[in-house]
Amino acid sequence: MIVCVAIVGHQNNPLYIQSFTEGDDALKLHHVVHCSLDVVDERVNNPKKSGPMLNETYLGLLYPTENYKVYGYLTNTKVKFILVTTDLDIKDADVRNFFRKFHAAYVDAVSNPFHVPGKKITSKTFAERISTIVKAFGLSSAG
Amino acid sequence: MANFLAQFQTIKSSSDHIVISVEDVSGLWPTVKKGFEERLPFKRACLNNKTRNSVFVENLPAEFILTTDARLRSRFPHEQYLFWFREPYATIILVTCEDLDEFKTILKPRLKLIVQNDEREWFIVFVSRAHPSNDQATKMAKKVYSKLEVDFSSRKRERCCKLDIHSPEANFWEDLDFKIVESIRNTLDRRVQFYEDELRKLSEQRFMPVWNFCNFFILKESLAFIFEMAQLHEDALREYDELELCYSETVNVPGKQRDFGGLERGDEQAALLNSGNKPLNEIVQDDSFREFEFRQYLFACQSKLLFKLNRPYEVASRGYSFIISFSKSLTSYESILPFCMREVWVVTASLALIGATSSHYKEGLVALDVEKEFHRLEGDLYSLCRLKFMRLAYMVGYGTYLERSPVNSASLSMLPWPKPAVWPSIPPDASSEVLAKEKMILQASPRPKHFGIQRKQLPLEPSILLREANRRRASLSAGNMLEIFDGRPIDGVVSPSNKPHTAAMVRTNSIPGNFESSIDRPMRLAEIYVAAEHALRNTISNPDLLKSLSSLEEFEQKYLELTKGAADNYHRSWWKRHGVVLDGEIAAVSFGHGNFDLAAKSYEKVCALYAGEGWHDLLAEVLPNLAECQKILNDEAGYLSSCVRLLSLDKGLFLNKERQAFQSEVVRLAHSEMKQPVPLDVSSLITFSGNMGPPVKLCDGDPGTLSVNIWSGFPDDITLDSLHLTLTATFNTDEGVKALKSSTPIVLNPGKNTITLALPPQKPGSYVLGVLTGQIGKLKFRSHSFSKGGPAESDDFMSYEKPVRPILKVFNPRPLVDLTAAISSALLINEPQWIGIIVRPIDYSLKGAVLHIDTGPGLKIEESHAIEMESHTDVMDKTTMENRSLGEKNNCHSLKIEDGQVEFPDWASETNSVMWIPVRAVSDQLPRGSSSGAYSGLYLIFMYCRLMTDV
Repeated sequence: MIVCVAIVGHQNNPLYIQSFTEGDDALKLHHVVHCSLDVVDERVNNPKKSGPMLNETYLGLLYPTENYKVYGYLTNTKVKFILVTTDLDIKDADVRNFFRKFHAAYVDAVSNPFHVPGKKITSKTFAERISTIVKAFGLSSAG
Repeated sequence: MANFLAQFQTIKSSSDHIVISVEDVSGLWPTVKKGFEERLPFKRACLNNKTRNSVFVENLPAEFILTTDARLRSRFPHEQYLFWFREPYATIILVTCEDLDEFKTILKPRLKLIVQNDEREWFIVFVSRAHPSNDQATKMAKKVYSKLEVDFSSRKRERCCKLDIHSPEANFWEDLDFKIVESIRNTLDRRVQFYEDELRKLSEQRFMPVWNFCNFFILKESLAFIFEMAQLHEDALREYDELELCYSETVNVPGKQRDFGGLERGDEQAALLNSGNKPLNEIVQDDSFREFEFRQYLFACQSKLLFKLNRPYEVASRGYSFIISFSKSLTSYESILPFCMREVWVVTASLALIGATSSHYKEGLVALDVEKEFHRLEGDLYSLCRLKFMRLAYMVGYGTYLERSPVNSASLSMLPWPKPAVWPSIPPDASSEVLAKEKMILQASPRPKHFGIQRKQLPLEPSILLREANRRRASLSAGNMLEIFDGRPIDGVVSPSNKPHTAAMVRTNSIPGNFESSIDRPMRLAEIYVAAEHALRNTISNPDLLKSLSSLEEFEQKYLELTKGAADNYHRSWWKRHGVVLDGEIAAVSFGHGNFDLAAKSYEKVCALYAGEGWHDLLAEVLPNLAECQKILNDEAGYLSSCVRLLSLDKGLFLNKERQAFQSEVVRLAHSEMKQPVPLDVSSLITFSGNMGPPVKLCDGDPGTLSVNIWSGFPDDITLDSLHLTLTATFNTDEGVKALKSSTPIVLNPGKNTITLALPPQKPGSYVLGVLTGQIGKLKFRSHSFSKGGPAESDDFMSYEKPVRPILKVFNPRPLVDLTAAISSALLINEPQWIGIIVRPIDYSLKGAVLHIDTGPGLKIEESHAIEMESHTDVMDKTTMENRSLGEKNNCHSLKIEDGQVEFPDWASETNSVMWIPVRAVSDQLPRGSSSGAYSGLYLIFMYCRLMTDV
């Protein structure tokens, strides 16, 4: 199950963060997303280690903990997409696909002339679209 | 072959170096022993690795053993193959002979006999005892030696060398080394080849029913050991890696159910670095080994080699993955393992790994990125250990003392509870312990947050422990939840307003003897803690860990040690955020101990991290803690700035009541007796900009007023005792800064306020807004130093800056008004007449202007009449201006003249007007009424207009 998705700006500032847990515990997911930026930074600052992944937007698994996984995606404009899931058995291709849709939704949201670049995304349409993508991901990975 | 396991391990542990046998034919060993042993260990021995490439081994330890030694005798042939690594790698035959006949008849046949075993690598050292002065003896020795060479050396292989005891040749020792190493190399190659062939044969059968992993293991490990003895650690490591792969491939073959292991006392203490923890023959199961012990054994062997290769970094890296994957295995066997075995094992494993890797690690020897990565791994290990330790502590009832911070919540609430087959039940004589736990639960109330902030606490539990534990108890159905909770708050969701009833203290259940029936009713939380504690005491054999869980103080000490370890290592890695966040956890402990100074320093770092990157939600969690520390420490400046920062966070993050509390703190401090006026940056809270629309236009030297919009982020009205606003000239940066002041108190409402400031005369140029400063009580505040085009929004981090717009334009001196005479006809001497002056303002308001009139000599203003003024357009309507005569009242306004000055009426400030002045040309010579061209006009000597705004 996807518990959280987030978009983080090029200055590592949160642009959009949405958790999908039932409890009132979004803050812990803020923490998980924020700390995962360490791994993104590390990958970006050490191109040697990432090697062939250098030109790839999809960063793969950032965080293999015992109980949840964090995946990352980095656009050319250094905007990061983060996905936190408690589903430990997850296909890489599915995640990749998810990020692609997520990215497309983001591009549409920031193309809105009323959106100020660098500001948080508050669009309801965007939030609904993300919810749909997340739900669809849950169905596809379950099936 | 599995029967040899015990023997195999003993032999392996007793032999760790290569053996070279010495066949002392002529009893020379005592004489040459010293010289030979001085050559050990061999320097730069050239050996072949598994892929048959030459490798120089810097130090190859070896031992010379006489063939007559007990250690080399009486071995059964099958043992020789099995434990081939302990057999000699070379045989040196020491001979001497001073007589050719003796050589031919006695020595040669004997030597032939010795070397007939082709499997051995051998060579002959001929020792010459002939003194150099004794030519006869020397010659004879040479003869014998050359005979020896002819008989035993071949073109392919030089097998003889000669040692002159009295004067050894310079290259003898090198020659000896070379020959020994050559023999070792050949033996090694042959043995490796043999084992590889055998292993290939075996591994081909690994999916057949006849497969026996133990056999494979002995051969594989022997090969690994051969490499290890030859100091070819890299090759040895590869063998163990392959062994591990093969094991994991064959161990979990479906249909073969094996014991997992891990049920013995002491098993919870990780043995992943101690290969000798248990004899291998004890962990054999059928044709393989028990997973629990064997996987740790393999890891121990690998890590030993990695340490020898000086790669502690890799031990940490492999170790972390090993712990995670092993922990998964433990999870799948959790129902049969002791209670919390997985958690305890991970704690001990992480600690062991941290200890070993950090002691083998030397700073500065590896590349920077490897070093950073090493510290990251150490940090991860500490974190993992910390997490499991916290879970154990929670199980025994220290949960209320754990900080419910995002970091703890993130790791603990997503970590499932242990899943034993049956949840441990409470021992019969534990009533006093239950009472103590009850007391602890009741006493622990979450520390109220500063400013009266109320938050739903973050969970540390994946689900409610009470429910989970009772659900897992065998004889218990789900039960009535109300009965379970017993009217008390559920653990983990204790809110300050919902404190446990004190009546719960006197509970009939606490009477001893009632516990026997406890198996039939749901356990209470205190009982769950006690039961878990007892079960853990059975699980844990490590006295240190037991001690760490024995009391709150011990727990805290260990918790702090682990947290600090993790934070320190993360700080030295790329993962700064992880480090800083853990600093915050340390700060919480410091705070609890009254070390507010330390706590404040750490909290500051955390706040700086979150604020710098705009993570307001997280900042809102920590900042009140920092503020509280600063308040206690009497750090007024810090406290004020924290309050201001709290106020500037997203409005949705705090209740209005809480925000009002922040403001009242600011105001209270501002008006209190502060030691020194504190400067405060309120950029994020009070922002300002000029009015929309064109800038105010003024002329050089004119005063004016300027209205400025100020946005207040305070939740309530706030009174500013004074306000200063600077204007910066865009043309000149040196002296262009002008300060506008308002010393009367200004009340700012929340949101937008428009204030008007008096503008003293400015130099020509255009001006933009500069800095806004002011005072609230004794507090000097300062806002941002640039003008923003629009209102600052709540998340003004990364605010979109618009180009600075001029707010004021002051123009250079220019004609502001045009004065012309309305009449240019001649005047009659001594006759009062009207002279008109047309006043035309040129894009300039004449409000409050004063007209100075000086008639000059010969002309006099008739003071009996008032000066009149009318709109110029009215005048134009008349048929002719000359028709005007004194006393004629038209649409005129009377004005007074005083000392030659006439004040302009307001209606005339913007429009063209005509001022009628009654004058009389005076002449003593001319009679009244005569005309003269000499006085044909009114002399307007001087006219001066001035805006009276500063009056």
